[in-house]
Amino acid sequence: MSAKIKIEHLNQYYGKKQALKDVNLTIHQGMFGLLGRNGAGKTTLMKVLATLLPKSEGKITICGVPLENSAKIRRMTGYLPQDFSMYPNMTVYEAMDYLGVLSGMSKALRKKSIPKLLEKVNLLDHQKTKVKALSGGMKRRLGIAQAILHNPRILIVDEPTAGLDPEERVRFRNLLCEIAEERIVILSTHIVGDIEATCEQIAVLNEGEFLYQGTVSGLIEMADGKVYTAQISKQELPRIKEKYIVTSILALGNNVMVRFIADQKPFASAKICEAGVEDAYMYLMNGEGSEV
Amino acid sequence: MFAQLILKECRQTAKSIIYWLIVLILVIFFSSQLGNMDIAKKPKPGLESYGRYYSSNEQDIMKATLGYLVSEYTNGKYVTYPIGFYKMVTPDKEEQKRIGEIISETTGLDTKEEMEKALNAETEDSDAEASDKKKNHIIVLGGAPIAPSKTLTYDRFGELMREVDHLLGGGSQYNKKHLKTNAATPKTYEQALQEYEDLMEKDHLTGGYARLYSDYMGIMLGILPVFLAVTRGMRDRRSQMRELIASRRASSASVIVSRYISMLIMLMLPVLLISCIPLMECIQYAASGFHLDYLAFVKYSFGWLLPTIMIATAVGMVLTELTDTALGVLVQLAWWFLAIFSSMSSMSGGMYGLDLVPRHNTEYNYAGFHAGFTQLAANRVLYAVISVLLIAVTVWIYSLKRKGRLDIRGKLLGNRKRKSQA
Repeated sequence: MSAKIKIEHLNQYYGKKQALKDVNLTIHQGMFGLLGRNGAGKTTLMKVLATLLPKSEGKITICGVPLENSAKIRRMTGYLPQDFSMYPNMTVYEAMDYLGVLSGMSKALRKKSIPKLLEKVNLLDHQKTKVKALSGGMKRRLGIAQAILHNPRILIVDEPTAGLDPEERVRFRNLLCEIAEERIVILSTHIVGDIEATCEQIAVLNEGEFLYQGTVSGLIEMADGKVYTAQISKQELPRIKEKYIVTSILALGNNVMVRFIADQKPFASAKICEAGVEDAYMYLMNGEGSEV
Repeated sequence: MFAQLILKECRQTAKSIIYWLIVLILVIFFSSQLGNMDIAKKPKPGLESYGRYYSSNEQDIMKATLGYLVSEYTNGKYVTYPIGFYKMVTPDKEEQKRIGEIISETTGLDTKEEMEKALNAETEDSDAEASDKKKNHIIVLGGAPIAPSKTLTYDRFGELMREVDHLLGGGSQYNKKHLKTNAATPKTYEQALQEYEDLMEKDHLTGGYARLYSDYMGIMLGILPVFLAVTRGMRDRRSQMRELIASRRASSASVIVSRYISMLIMLMLPVLLISCIPLMECIQYAASGFHLDYLAFVKYSFGWLLPTIMIATAVGMVLTELTDTALGVLVQLAWWFLAIFSSMSSMSGGMYGLDLVPRHNTEYNYAGFHAGFTQLAANRVLYAVISVLLIAVTVWIYSLKRKGRLDIRGKLLGNRKRKSQA
């Protein structure tokens, strides 16, 4: 059975509030990015896939196994929640070993796999360090190591780079790319840069609905010919912000270099430029080209 | 996997400060209560006192209880312990009148004058010290025994005493449980010798001391395990580890049961280890060739104390899993408190009933233990079975929470937020 996740007509409710609305999605091997604002429904979707939330309606199969078969699904999936830690008094190795036992791994297998994984996430030198002494970045790396400890076919990571410094973030992205070579990795984030650097296939979620599904380049194409830069005075900035979607501002003394989205050339000094993922995302989220 | 999980949980427990505090409390409690254990010596004839025992003779019980009732009635005040605390009850006119009628029916004494006269007739002998000298004399606190009327049956007496207890709001000397402790009687030399011989021959010395050990340790083990269970249950959420564990392959039953078993193991360890101290004292005392039951402390620890540990731990686990709060501590504390006070009247053993903490505060009274053994066994089995059921419920709650189908804490916090916003 090929590694594939199929979601059909998924609806998710919290009481009367609908968190996911008729979600249809197929995810194949490799890195899949799930982009959206905070509260868009990303974590809900991740938790449903990790069998930590019961789905309200719809059908989901993971590698051909229905989601209802949670015992089997848990063997195939590794999950890294958005907010997590481990027992603070345990060492890195002990924490991995404990979770390995809960994953049904034999002692011999744990002894073989844990050092390898710790090496992969660059924590081998810290295997005797207590969890409470780890930095945020180290904890995230340990989180990834525990999620792939039982060699799952699917890895679900929810906002893994939140709170990391730029260097750690780059390291973490590279690590995820490596891991995705042999499995499905679903990366949920609200940071566009994470997706741009790692994912080919993406979906953009807004208020429980998909605004876009496809490739990163497809998303960029949507904003092609609509992104401009211009050097303007600081006094003009509020007017520009009011009229256009501003994606970046760079201060230049009394002037600012502003990057914005407009359907047509707005004024003579504005120069058209190549669209990036962030531009396309902003274009999409602000109600333009809402097509799937 | 299951055995490895138990081992890992045991290691976690061994690193917990709460666990070591529990061990420390057990050691201190043992030292203060049984640290200087005087092993029983053979009674010698001609001593002033050999202690007392509670008479099970129905006439004695009726005499002593009625003496106490008449004494309280004439004073117009009654001492009760409704939830373990001392309370002086002053009944209203109607209630006092009804109690007077009951006294009249049970003793034939109709007026206060007659009652006072009956009391005074016996008062000279009612002093406890003096009474001890008299064989088979009934000792009545603050009064003197009063003979029941000849037509009074024990059943009718029991019925009327229940009514008095009810009129006083419960917890009085007249409730069914306390009746049997009203007629304290001095022991004779022969009785003391018999008890000593029972301890040596039937209990093989260690049996009696194992019961005494269980009596004391049971008090602490009725409450301490709940702290371990609650802190263990809350550790997952506090350490933000709940989802990491929930998304694993291990079944909910193996997660919960392994935790439960590991806590039982870790709590039984100090109980068994500390019991080596009284065992060593018994070994030292016993003359060479004397047949000691070397396994008595182990047998009593498992048979008597383990069910107490099981239930206190299970209550902590189920309530923590259900509410994600320390509610289990409060509930167990309340239960333990009531249990300790309600079992005070049966401290000398033999009356175990449904007590959470069965009492047998003496190395003697093998006869009482023997007579109440079925009751005790039923009590212990009942608590063990309830514990297993509570753990089954905990597994069920955990599996619901794991699948996101139950979140009582979230609902509670949600309600609180909504209220504060309003």
